[in-house]
Amino acid sequence: MSDTLTRLRYKYWPDHLLGEILSKRWTETGVPVIVLLIVGFVLSRLLDGFFAPAILADTARQASEIGFIVFGMALVMIVGGIDLSVGSMFALTNFFALYLMHVLAWPVAAAVPATLVFGAALGAVNGILVGFFRLRAFITTLITLIIYRAVYDLLIFDYSTQIAGGFPDSKVWDFLGTGELYGIPTVAFVYVALAIFGHVFLTRLRPGWHITAIGGSRRSAYNSGIAVRRTITMCYVASGMLSALGGVFFASRLATVGGDIGVGLEVLVLTAAVLGGISLGGGNGSVTKAVVGTLIVLLITNSLVSLSVPGGVNRMVLAGILLLAAVIDIRWLKNRHRIISKVYVAPNYHDMPELPSTAPDSGTAWAQNDKLRNVSAIGLGEIEAPEDVILDRHDNLYAGSRHGDIIRFFPPDYKRHEVYAHIGGQPLGMAFDREDNLYVCIGGMGLYRITPDRKVEKATDETNRSWNSVTDDSRLRLADDLDIADDGRIFFSEATVRYEMHEWPVDGLEARGNGRIICYDPKTNSTHTAVRGLKFPNGICIAGDGQSIFFAETFGCSVKRYWFDGPKKGKVEMVMENLPGYPDNINISSDGHYWLAMVGMRCPALDLAWRMPGFRKRMAKRVPVDEWLFPNINTGCVIKFNEKGEVLESLWDLGGVNHPMITSMREHKGYLYLGGILNNRIGRYKLEGADPNFVQYDLRWGKLS
Amino acid sequence: MIQALKSFSDRFLGRGEAAITVPPMDGALKPNRLIEDAEILATFDAPEDLATDGKSLLIADGRRVLRWQNGAGVEIATFDRPVTALACAADGSLIVALDGQQIRRADGQSWNAANGKPFVAINALSVGADGTIYATDGSKENPPEKWVHDLMGLGRSGRAIAIPAAGEPGEIASGLEYAFGIAAAGNEIWVSESWRHRVLSLTSNGGKGRPVVDRLPGYPSRLTPAAGGGFWLSVFITRTQLVEFVLRERDYRTRMMKEIDPRYWVSPALTSGNTFLEPMQGAHIKTMGILKPWAPPRSYGLVVRLAPDGLLRYSLHSRVDGKNHGVVAAIEIDGALYMLAKGPRRLLRISVQDVERSVQA
Repeated sequence: MSDTLTRLRYKYWPDHLLGEILSKRWTETGVPVIVLLIVGFVLSRLLDGFFAPAILADTARQASEIGFIVFGMALVMIVGGIDLSVGSMFALTNFFALYLMHVLAWPVAAAVPATLVFGAALGAVNGILVGFFRLRAFITTLITLIIYRAVYDLLIFDYSTQIAGGFPDSKVWDFLGTGELYGIPTVAFVYVALAIFGHVFLTRLRPGWHITAIGGSRRSAYNSGIAVRRTITMCYVASGMLSALGGVFFASRLATVGGDIGVGLEVLVLTAAVLGGISLGGGNGSVTKAVVGTLIVLLITNSLVSLSVPGGVNRMVLAGILLLAAVIDIRWLKNRHRIISKVYVAPNYHDMPELPSTAPDSGTAWAQNDKLRNVSAIGLGEIEAPEDVILDRHDNLYAGSRHGDIIRFFPPDYKRHEVYAHIGGQPLGMAFDREDNLYVCIGGMGLYRITPDRKVEKATDETNRSWNSVTDDSRLRLADDLDIADDGRIFFSEATVRYEMHEWPVDGLEARGNGRIICYDPKTNSTHTAVRGLKFPNGICIAGDGQSIFFAETFGCSVKRYWFDGPKKGKVEMVMENLPGYPDNINISSDGHYWLAMVGMRCPALDLAWRMPGFRKRMAKRVPVDEWLFPNINTGCVIKFNEKGEVLESLWDLGGVNHPMITSMREHKGYLYLGGILNNRIGRYKLEGADPNFVQYDLRWGKLS
Repeated sequence: MIQALKSFSDRFLGRGEAAITVPPMDGALKPNRLIEDAEILATFDAPEDLATDGKSLLIADGRRVLRWQNGAGVEIATFDRPVTALACAADGSLIVALDGQQIRRADGQSWNAANGKPFVAINALSVGADGTIYATDGSKENPPEKWVHDLMGLGRSGRAIAIPAAGEPGEIASGLEYAFGIAAAGNEIWVSESWRHRVLSLTSNGGKGRPVVDRLPGYPSRLTPAAGGGFWLSVFITRTQLVEFVLRERDYRTRMMKEIDPRYWVSPALTSGNTFLEPMQGAHIKTMGILKPWAPPRSYGLVVRLAPDGLLRYSLHSRVDGKNHGVVAAIEIDGALYMLAKGPRRLLRISVQDVERSVQA
């Protein structure tokens, strides 16, 4: 009963999505957006007329003016610094703009650029001190905050009456301050334009990448040749200029030089940036985060004002939010990877029928024996990790190695060997096509082809992205084994889309259908996914009818058949289920049947754990990987089965002394060659009564050597 | 209330009692191959315990008691039931435990219960200087051969028993998490409390006792005196994080005990690696043909030399890649240390002088 509940719960509730969503970068922006929506909703309930057009327009004006400054602050924070002087620069540029317009009566076209240049100059003071003289950003900008503020106080003492008396007669100036287009304030258009540019700048342009790189690691950025000092200086210059832009619009709107303009603005701006998710540590931030942070802070402060909350409380709320956001920022950045790695692993309910007996006295074809005891070893200690072995039509023996090579052993005794080709990733399954090209699945890289003249070519490393998967599943992570149809189409398995090759035990722990079978057509050079949701699909072999493949599901402990052509096209049928072990590669035998390697055998303790996902989830969290309950892959065997799925015989090496692990086997001229991904040898076993002239790829492609 | 909250948060965060950490084999427990490389004297059918009359070695093998003479075991006594523990009185006469249920002296005197409760799992015997017989009764529920049921069932019904030279058996401690191994140490009695990985020192008038050896990375068993003071402590199985984890997973543990053959449980064992039906852990994968000796031990061979104050002086090992696992008894006679590796059912011998030279090197 409770088993049924567990099964249903794990069948219909997608546990694995949480980790996949969290590992997306956009979730960091997603949280502030959700906060913004909540704040907006709550405030709209609290305050009447919250969404009235006039109020919205006013909010948009303020948001844009402050938003410019937040952009500047964000830029400086991303590069790894902080700019406390933004409030003072804002006040000073506001004064400067008003002085030019009201007192000197400059035209707008001259006054606005002049103000921006003035702001840039103010920022450049910070920039040069921090960037080139390498002073501390915090203390430097704190000092300029005081100096600029002092200058501002002196200036307004002298000129405030003159500014108040002047009255610039400029429609353009008024349009900047109070103008609207389609009910939307002018400033908002500028803001949106700047935001779009800023986004492109940060994510698509070289200087933007440089800024993020410097914030992420200044030393690495320097070592990779980025002009660190200049870039940092330019960020402070930009901050000054953006403050000036805010100042210009503020000046044109209110035309005031009151003593409290820009006081405490740096806290507001900093809160907005941190709340949006721009990291205080640098290297992490985006325009979206800056915009969202600005809106949240402004909504809160404005609503507090309209609720007639005293200014002190207002600032206290702001400081409280800043503190909270900063704590979350630091803790999240520090623990992000740990949290994701804890929630990413999502074991599934995996029920296996009762384990069939393989005892020597069980009287079945599975009965354990010692037939493989006298296997002879090829390349002992000279080859590492031959997952698959293959023989060409001239008796040469090929095997992959974990150094990323294809090694060729020479007949007749296979004592000599050479590196046939270097690919760079772990070679897994192999097959020859009609033209003697060797196709190889490379873990972590994809499907590769080695031409007869030893040229290594990439066949494919991506497939179509499925519309309903959260992680990008277009890249191939673990191409595993392949076979080639009569028309040249290549069917290969990808064991899992959620983990890398060395993480296969984690996929075994999940026991979810994370794998798929992919078809690559060399004629059109196109790739598409044929079957999805398989439990670690592994070995693949074209069936006798030429219209279907047999494939092994390692953690599904089954062999299935998939029709890619003919009347049953697209269908998948079970051939052998509830195997007593974990099936791996499949290949044809000389008598028209199929060899299947069992890489390991099931054990009752893991079978039980597969029915208890919660247990495995806790195990994944608490127990180090080396101590996990694993599928036992120290002992395996080779079996022969026919098209009906009947097991005809089995070959064992019980102690696993001579050949500890078997991931593949290949019959050739009366011998069976054995590969094992964690072995340092290739096994060779004399088959009694087998066709001494059998050459797999002569038969397959109808040739004679 | 606070305790309940703490235990909840401990379980949630895997701290405190919920932590599955295992002390490392380091310092005096630094691994070596002394047990693995020790001389193999003989292999028996069902060896259980070793004892000495001061001159020669006595072996309990099934229903028989053998004396080790001229390189072979000579039968000196047989009983109607399997011998589960063996000791020698000062005069050289035998004291045996039969099937865990009875303690019998050579003069025919026998006892079947203490404090009104029958013996179930008498697994160790020793004799004090005053002739008192000390014994451990491992568990109220599980006979000696089902010790693994007691471990995985979180058994805590072991007791230590004293039988005065003239008098009736009495408990000197009860409610122990499996008692396996007992020896007199001056005025005190040392008892191995296996499932708590410690050795307790008890006084004969009762009381809770104080741990003299604590936080072992394995489960201690029998104690025998060493020449020059102190004891030999055989640690018959060792701890792994996976077993510690499973011990804290009630649902999995109960289902495992109900549905699976005990030979294939996630639990420590006296021998391992015999079939693929045993659970395998990550580090057990043979890579390039080699099983790592530092992989988590399902079975292990470990004997610890204790100083008179309980400090660990040095230890002898047979690691994961070895065979001489499950050492349940170690006894020193004339400068030679005899060990009984119950996993492969072997009697081993090594010179104490060689051991001391090797661990000092």
